[in-house]
Amino acid sequence: MTPDMELALAARAENIAIVRHVLGGLGEAYEVPEEKLSDIRLAVTEACANVVVHAYPDGQAGQMEVVAAMEEETLTVLVRDWGCGISPRPDSPGLGLGLSLIAALAESVQLGQGEEERTEVQMTFALSGATTDASALAGANTLAGASTPTGTHTLTGTNSHTGTNGQSA
Amino acid sequence: MSEALGDTQTAQTAVSDTVRGEWEAAGTVSLRVADGPLVGPLLRRMVSIVLARADWPLDGLDDALLVCDALSAHAPGRAQAGWLALSVRAGEREAELRVGELSCEGAADLVRDATLPVVGNVLEGIATKVSVEIEPDGGSQLVLVLGTDPSEVGISS
Repeated sequence: MTPDMELALAARAENIAIVRHVLGGLGEAYEVPEEKLSDIRLAVTEACANVVVHAYPDGQAGQMEVVAAMEEETLTVLVRDWGCGISPRPDSPGLGLGLSLIAALAESVQLGQGEEERTEVQMTFALSGATTDASALAGANTLAGASTPTGTHTLTGTNSHTGTNGQSA
Repeated sequence: MSEALGDTQTAQTAVSDTVRGEWEAAGTVSLRVADGPLVGPLLRRMVSIVLARADWPLDGLDDALLVCDALSAHAPGRAQAGWLALSVRAGEREAELRVGELSCEGAADLVRDATLPVVGNVLEGIATKVSVEIEPDGGSQLVLVLGTDPSEVGISS
């Protein structure tokens, strides 16, 4: 799958608003229903918030990227960073609901390490209104340039959070 | 007013150290987008929120969006390999907007085509500097520096 857009910006809290705003343009161009677009924005916001809060500890500067691709009524969004990866964090400042929220809003979620030690969260959203078979999507919608994450953990939209390994928001 | 096309002076040399410092603090937002209908909506949104966050006045925002409209209208079809690389960084007084991955003549053609009857060239009329950079791979990049009156920083009436 070829990405339709790649947004790169500093992993700062204030930049999450930019991601949300630009995603609105994607919804505008693809005529995504407002309710669905709100879900997409919320899920991507959570993924970006994870990057800002967890990926670069101790105030380190770092980048995050948001990649999106549309194919056959399915929008795939990938959020990646080059930070410390996903690992259990007992002192997490968040409530730990981020990934659960993403899993509830997206048809499928994959977490993993991509090339160049980047951490990737890949979400798929069915825009046709029909529920998409999460198992069919998982692993099938890898964005070009984003190798299939190794050690991938897949979350489904059915609240069965198998394979999570700790990152939270 | 703009300088002649083909001037390969980088936009960075056109701004002061103070402004450059503001840009570094604000960070550059970069967007690669497939050449086509996504360019317009994404470019407008990216530029508008980055400038708004830098406290640009409404007049300045309005001008910047006119530039975005001109770019959206004429950039598609001029990409070198099906992609356009857009980036923006802004301080309180100046912003730099880059459109890259254009074909060899793409940047110059883009400026030339952004001309409206009576109004004239939109890009050269609004931007304080317009320049074309030739990229190592033979493509071209359009660099626009937009300015705003410091006295109008904030919400203008």
